[in-house]
Order: sequence, then structure tokens, then C-alpha cells
Amino acid sequence: MQRTGFLTAAAAAAGVLTLAMGGPAALAGPDTNILNIGMASTDAGRLDPHLSATTVDKAVFGWMFNGLVRFAPGSASPETIEPDLAESWESSDDGLEWTFHLRQGVQCHHDYGELTADDIVYSLNRAADPDRSSFSSDYEAFETVEAVDPYTVRIVLSHPVPSLLGLVTAYQGGNIVCKAAAEEMGEDFQNRPIGTGPFMFDEYRPQQSLSLVANPNYFRGAPMLDGILYRYIPSDSARDLAFQSGEIDLIYGRQDQTWVERIRELPDVTVMVMEPAEMSVMHLNTSAAPLDDIRVRQAMAYAVNREEFMDFKGRDVVRIATSIVPQGYLGHADLSDLMPPFDLEQSAALLAEAGHPDGVTLHVIHTALPGMLDTMEVFQAQMARANITLDMEVVEHSTFHAQIREDLSQVVHYSAARFPIADIYLTQFYHSRSIVGTPTAVTNFSHCGNADAQIDAARVETDPEAQKALWEEAQRLLMENFCSIPIYENLQIWARHDYLDLGYELTGSLSLGPPVTESTHFVSN
Amino acid sequence: MLAYVARRLLLAVPTLLAVMTLVFVLVRIVPGDPAQTILGDQASQEALMAMRERLGLNRPLWEQYIDFLRDALSGDWGNSMVTGHPILQEILNVLPYTIDLTVASLIIGALFGIPLGVWSALHRNRLVDYVTRVGSLLGLSFPAFVSAILLLLVFSIELNWFPVISAGDRSSVGEVLENLALPAINLGLIMTAYITRVTRSSMLNVLGEDYIRTAHAKGLPNRAVIWIHALRNALIPVVTVVGLYLGILIGNSVLTEIVFNRPGLGKLIVGALSQRDYTMLQGLMVIYTFIIIIVNLLTDLTYGLIDPRVKYS
Repeated sequence: MQRTGFLTAAAAAAGVLTLAMGGPAALAGPDTNILNIGMASTDAGRLDPHLSATTVDKAVFGWMFNGLVRFAPGSASPETIEPDLAESWESSDDGLEWTFHLRQGVQCHHDYGELTADDIVYSLNRAADPDRSSFSSDYEAFETVEAVDPYTVRIVLSHPVPSLLGLVTAYQGGNIVCKAAAEEMGEDFQNRPIGTGPFMFDEYRPQQSLSLVANPNYFRGAPMLDGILYRYIPSDSARDLAFQSGEIDLIYGRQDQTWVERIRELPDVTVMVMEPAEMSVMHLNTSAAPLDDIRVRQAMAYAVNREEFMDFKGRDVVRIATSIVPQGYLGHADLSDLMPPFDLEQSAALLAEAGHPDGVTLHVIHTALPGMLDTMEVFQAQMARANITLDMEVVEHSTFHAQIREDLSQVVHYSAARFPIADIYLTQFYHSRSIVGTPTAVTNFSHCGNADAQIDAARVETDPEAQKALWEEAQRLLMENFCSIPIYENLQIWARHDYLDLGYELTGSLSLGPPVTESTHFVSN
Repeated sequence: MLAYVARRLLLAVPTLLAVMTLVFVLVRIVPGDPAQTILGDQASQEALMAMRERLGLNRPLWEQYIDFLRDALSGDWGNSMVTGHPILQEILNVLPYTIDLTVASLIIGALFGIPLGVWSALHRNRLVDYVTRVGSLLGLSFPAFVSAILLLLVFSIELNWFPVISAGDRSSVGEVLENLALPAINLGLIMTAYITRVTRSSMLNVLGEDYIRTAHAKGLPNRAVIWIHALRNALIPVVTVVGLYLGILIGNSVLTEIVFNRPGLGKLIVGALSQRDYTMLQGLMVIYTFIIIIVNLLTDLTYGLIDPRVKYS
């Protein structure tokens, strides 16, 4: 996500020039059995799955680590959860005790021995420890994690967590690290992460690449590829050209219709559009005037023309939001009927009724990231038609993140994908515990808390239908309160050369990057 | 001359101290939280607090400053806040790439810029002069990232002579040169334009001097007058601006480094700034200042080689 305006311009220039020059011929295939991947980043972050939550690192963790369970490769739907390190599991009737039976003979990378229940206990406790994990709060209901025998793990909860399998899937804190390696290396673990996945850490070159080699002892069978070279390429144009020249086989795409259309014109290339969606939302700070008046918030909602956004962003990469929780997330409810239609007269009437016949001015802090800024500029233009002036201050991305957490922006434009269960989205963005500036803050910029009871009740509800009903009620209450204005959902974009067979059908990926499995291979090899 | 060099190096100490203090304060004034950058936007407050504690950001500023100075003076530059890798090692990893690129572009600039500048001055207000002037103006005003993309399109995509990604292995000279060629040409073109303009203007001044007329009157061959008497005297302003430009180039090569995906100091600075990697920024700024000091010193010493009248006292 580190991009600057000039790079966007450069990418556009490259695209135009490439087309003008006729484009390249189709590529025969790769010279080696190493998969080259181009990622939009200057460098890696911390290569520890319990610490880093960045898009750049998450994809890598998916190739190196396993969870007790996993989402089926190529899917981001919780309904496809299947065994991974655990062969089977069961829970007590009250949902407080979960027992996992482990697969035998799973080997940790680089001769760190067989993975047993002790490793699982260590890893889950590590994920729950705020000193060693970014995701500790996800595991607050974990009372004990114990090894019943070398191949059985028991988790005892303080209260039922119906989405518990989500916490032990190969994602964030659920990625299982090998105890012997993590204890031996301490903080140095991030320099040589050890898991059990199909690919093992080989070499990291700062600002250049991360090299992984195939794990010959992988429990699902040795990978068909010899390794992965994950290249950090911050320039959009250079990444595109390297893909075009065949130096990279799989490329992180731009969430931009022009990019999709340009890459589709290349011979023997497939653009992959996948879940989970990142919801682009305008969070309205309801704690201060004039947005503390629901009529002003309603007026803003009536001034939004979503069709214009669709035309602007492109219909291949975005879809219209139908709720405050993205589609495809477990618990999403289609509440399109609560989305006010585009109606400037109604907007003006509401503003006048709220005592602002001449309109209002709102101070907005926004990131300079081009992919987000262009959306905000369209939103700003739409609001201007309704006499709502957005006084926008554009700042660098880290500054943006710091300042919106200090409540300095009356409207916060946020775009994020989360673990695809409604609870995560609702809790992080709309529960009063998550209000920015509080000791338990996450990303509640609207200061809404009017659906806390429903969100909390859904979290401990064991009946799936009742749980979905509670999540729907929460979404309805928050939307009726106009805490935020959902605009569109941005899908994840990648592209590959057709000589690369992923080995599964790709519709989604929790790690936001296509899984590279033991079955991924080059067709020409 | 040794005493002169020693005095200049001693004077560098307060400069370095001032820069270290300034950088320490500036990076902390800029809004942004390294802990948030490292842990991501979903991190709990508990995890953020723990990370700030681990990074030492919760301690009073003066304590952090004293520790920073003590560690820096004892040669311990610490670890990057974001990657956790030793700073000195990260800088030393990319420094060879920056030095290669800077030196190569300087060589290209000097090889083409000086003869072009002289040629242009000798043909003042004639067609070749106009062409050279317009060419050098274009070279200076053309954005580095656009010329970089054009070079990639022509030489990497169409002709397939060079790789798009210039961050290859450094195991053989051939590999280094292959990866260096396009980025060096890109920066070398700018350097050529710069040197051409300065050389032309300096040569025009020198060519009007009495001693040049005298040399001609003495019957010296024209070639000797131009290349020995005139050019040597014209080179002092060229060395001055090249010295200044070299310092800037080391930081400004970031656009070229990014487009050619080549490691380097410029890219490291930009990455550290966007990630609020305080420790890395501090280390980088000290190195950068040190490089500028050394380049300035070398520039001053070069004056003596060009002009024997320059004495160091």
C-alpha cells in the first residue's frame, strides 16, 4: 500500500506507451521451477505471523504456516473450513470445551522435529500474549489450552465463542509456530520463521525479496514447485513491466478498472478477482456537532450517488455495498432497503430541518494514498452538490492513521477487509468498546454504540440462525442510526500467466494473496 | 594537507552531533506511531502498549535521547523498529548499490558532459550549440521516472537486453553491470545534462580570458589551448557543482531505485520515513551527513589537483 502519485502517473504512462508499442508476444513459460511473485511494497514487515497484520506479510504466512483448521484453498468462506493440523475436533454441548485431534507425523521446517500438542499449546498461548502478539484480544475467552496427550489438545473457554474455529484457522494468531524454534530464537524468530507449511524460509534480502524453498516433508506431499521468490516491487509500472516481460509469474494487482483492462489485453494472462472484499466506508463522528444530529448524517447519505462510484472505480473491481458488513462475510444481511436513494432535494430538506439551510462544512483528514484519495475526492464532489463542504486535509498515510485515532477528522474514510465473520467487523468498527481514544480502542470512528447488546449477544449465541438474526438486527440498528455511509466493496485483484496452474479454483483467500499449495505448478514443466 | 584534512574531519563532529539531535527531534514531531505501523490497524491497545514499551517509546524523551547518543557513539546503532534487523547491517547491505549507481552515473555524466560542454562553447550560437543546449535542458527537465520507464520499455520489453528488475545477484561483475546499466544510464543522462551546461558556461568565461589569447598568439596548437589551458581552468566550477550534485544524487536516486526496483539508501530513507522507523531514520541521516561531509572534503581536495595555486592551510 505504499504508493505515491507519481507512480500512478508512471503506471498510466507505461500502460499507454506499452499499448502504443504493440505489447509483447506470448511467453513460453518460466525458465526455472521457482514461482516469482511481485508484491506492491518497498520491503517486508516483521515476518512473525503473530505480529504482522500487513497485506504484504499475510500472504507469505499462508504459504509457510498451518492452523488447526483451514479455509479450503481458494475460498474465503467460513463454510469451507476443513481439517489442517487437526484431523478432527468436537465441542462440549455448552460450547465451552473444544478438543482437537492432531494429525501425526507433521514435521516442523528445518529439522525442528515433529509437531505435537505441546507446539499447539505454546503457539495459541503465544497468540494470546500481548507481549508477543498483535491479536491477543481475539483470544481473551481462552481460559486454558492444554495438551491431553501428544496428539490431543483441549481448549477451555470462559464463555462460548461460536466462531472459535476462525481463531484456530491458519490466519493471524491461528498460524501455528513450532515451539522449539520460537523458544530458541526469541525475537529473532521473525528473521527465520519456522512453521509446517508447504514452503520454508530460505533467505530474506532487504528491499528485494524473500525466498522460500519447498518443504519436502510437507504432510500433504512435497510441493510441485521448487520454491517461491517473493519480490518487493513498490513501483506499479515496474511491477507491471516485470510481469509483462515474464520476470514475475504472479502479480499483486491494482484495485483499478484501467489496470484490469490493460492487463487483460496481455496475451495468455488471467486477471483474478477474489474475496474477501474491502468495504469502503465513510464513518461519521456522531459525538460532535453538526454530525451529532441524525438529520445531517441522513442528508449526507441522500447525497451519495453509488452508481457514480461504480462507474468511476469500475464494475470489475468493486460492487455496491448493501450493508455495513461486506457481502460474503458470515452474518452479512442485505439491507439495501435501508440505503437512502440518491435524492438531493431530500438532502437539502433534511439539512434545512436540522437548522443548516446554507449547508455545513466538515473538516476531513485523509490519506494521500491514491486508491483511497480518488474515492474521497468523488465523495467530496457529491457532497458539494448538496451544499456540504468537506474541508479536506490530505496527509501522508502514517499521519492519517495517527490523526484519525485522535478524533481529528469528522468524516473518516476507511477501507478494510477483516476475518469474514460479521462479529469482527461489527465489534471493531461499531462496538462502544472500540471507540477511538478509549483504553480498548480499535477503529470505531463514529462513536456509535447503539448495537452493543446485539453484537455481544451474537458472540455467545450457539444457535447459528439466532446468531445471524442478532447480527442482522445489529446491522439494521447501526444503519438506521446512520453511523456510517457504506459506499462500495473493493475486491482483491491479482493476475497470473496462464502457464501457472494454482491447483484449485480461486474465489477468495483470507490472506489476501492466492494460496500457493503443494499442487501449484507450471503447466509447461 | 594532512592537517587540513584532520581539521575538516574534526569540524565534522559538531555537524554530526547537530544532525543527530535534529533528526531525533524531527522524527518524533511528525505524527505517526511506529507501534501501529508494525502491528497493523487491528492491533489491540494492549498489544500497542506492549510494543511501545518494547521499543522504548514510553520512556521520557531525554532518556531516549541520551541512550541514542551513547549507543551511537559506542558504535551500537540498534535495530530497525519495523523489521528488527540491525541498522548498520541494513545500511551496509544497500550501500554498495548506491555507490555503484552514483559512481557509474558520474562517470557517464563526465564522459559525455565535459566534451559536449566544450564542443558547445567552441561553437557558440551555432547549430550544434543550440542542439546541445536544448538537449541538456531536456535532460534536466525530464522527470527521472518517465525516462526510467521509457528505458525499460525499449531495452527490457522490446529489445529484451536487460532485466526489468535490477536487484539481481552481485556474484559476478557481468551480473552487476547488467543490473546497473539502465539505472546508471537514467541518472547518467541527468548528470550529463548538468555537466554539459556548467562546462559550457565555464568554458565560455575562460575562452575570453587574456591568457587564452596569449596562448593563441604564442602559436600553441588550438587543441592544446582548449584541452589543456582552457579546460583545466574551466573545471573548477564543474567540480564544485558535481560535488554538490553528488550529495543530492545519493538521496535523490530514490525515483530511479524504485522504478528499477533496486535497493539503495534513497529507498531505505523513504521506506523508513513512511513506516516511522525512528531508529533507522536516525542511522540513515548520520550516514547521509557523513557522506556529504566526505564528498565536500574530496571536492575541496580536487581543487588542488586541478589548480596548483590552491593551497591548504
